[in-house]
Amino acid sequence: MIYLDNGATSFHKPPQVYRAVTEAMRTCANPGRGGYGAAMAASEKLYACREAAGKLFSCQPEQVVLTNNCTHGLNIAIHSLFRPGSRVVVTGFEHNAVTRPLHGLDARIVVAGRKLFDWADTLSEWEKALDRGADGAVFTHVSNVFGYILPVEQMAKCCRERGIPFIVDAAQSAGSLPVSLEALGAEFIAMPGHKGLLGPQGTGLLLCRNGGEPLLRGGTGSDSINQDMPADLPERLEAGTMNVPGFAGLTEGMCCLLRRGTEDIFRREHAQLRLAAEGLKKLGLEVFAGEHQAGTLSFRAGMDCEDAAAALAKQGIAVRAGLHCAPLAHRSAGTLDTGTVRISFGIDACFAQTRALLQGVSKGVCRKS
Amino acid sequence: MKFYYITFRSVTHAQRGESILKQRGIRCTLQRTPRWMEEQGCGYSLRVWTQDIHLPVALLEEKGVPKRRVYLQKDDGQLEEAQL
Repeated sequence: MIYLDNGATSFHKPPQVYRAVTEAMRTCANPGRGGYGAAMAASEKLYACREAAGKLFSCQPEQVVLTNNCTHGLNIAIHSLFRPGSRVVVTGFEHNAVTRPLHGLDARIVVAGRKLFDWADTLSEWEKALDRGADGAVFTHVSNVFGYILPVEQMAKCCRERGIPFIVDAAQSAGSLPVSLEALGAEFIAMPGHKGLLGPQGTGLLLCRNGGEPLLRGGTGSDSINQDMPADLPERLEAGTMNVPGFAGLTEGMCCLLRRGTEDIFRREHAQLRLAAEGLKKLGLEVFAGEHQAGTLSFRAGMDCEDAAAALAKQGIAVRAGLHCAPLAHRSAGTLDTGTVRISFGIDACFAQTRALLQGVSKGVCRKS
Repeated sequence: MKFYYITFRSVTHAQRGESILKQRGIRCTLQRTPRWMEEQGCGYSLRVWTQDIHLPVALLEEKGVPKRRVYLQKDDGQLEEAQL
């Protein structure tokens, strides 16, 4: 299979990730609950995960909350910062993991910056929206549909200068672009463990600057008489038994990234993205490509996007079609009615994948459309 | 050499404390806190072997790792809260 759906999850993990998961299942009991060897071993696995994340994202281990996925982290962050009626500024490229929690909270959502690949427009609209008053902001680092890398450093600076707390959704950037809690000054940065960080599904990280409000309440293995959740991070936001095998695998994924460096991964993904974009354009497709783009792109082929993806799947090429859980991004780009076919490269990006994609599109999509 | 217990509210703080002290060559082990020491219920502590407890405590404070209490193990094996 030619796997080009890394925006959904990284599929081929480094072998040590699989080994770590299995080993943790065989050797670890419940972390933070006992003092015997297997319980302490489990606690060590979780701490190792926090330490690796701290190195990758410039924060202390206790600022790393282990979550089930990026959506879980975003829900904690959004419910910590906002209340019904809060005015929250977001970009035009947010995922439903941001917009649905805000909608459910009855927050007033202000969308700022809808032009793809246009940093000047994004920043200008962003500043205008913040200046009209905001209780907070949430913004994605990279659009999951179009791969648009937003100018997050500048957007964060705009928020900091105005004293506006903000949350960064690093779902598509963690592992291939620099992400620093310290440098951005975000209240929270949420990310999945199973995409660019190469861990198993069912893992995620929430980096917290100060604290947060628990979404779940329950046992933490500490401070047990207190019927409120503990005041300290990370336990305050981690109720119940943790996914030790998952986080043991995630630690190994992050160690791979620390050894290899995110710059190298980005360069590799981006090189294939450029080749794919050029090739798809030559085949006469409508390709959404531009400056400031990560390893993801969308295209339209003059046929139903699901049919196009199915035609590629028949040839062993895995891509994702539809709205990608981001109707706001499609509305911004004018593709809400049709959806798009998305290809997203991963850590193993190479020319053989791009060539297979272009051949597959030429054979299975162009001839039918 | 004297034995001390430094108690923590959070296992993660205790783990970070262990990492900091070991990096400085201070011998310590992570363990469950004896129930009588922890009025708030379960917790973790570091058993520390040192002549001068002020150094490990200062290191933890410098790195922003909050501790709960410090206990000294006396020669007869009894524990008493250390006055720092």
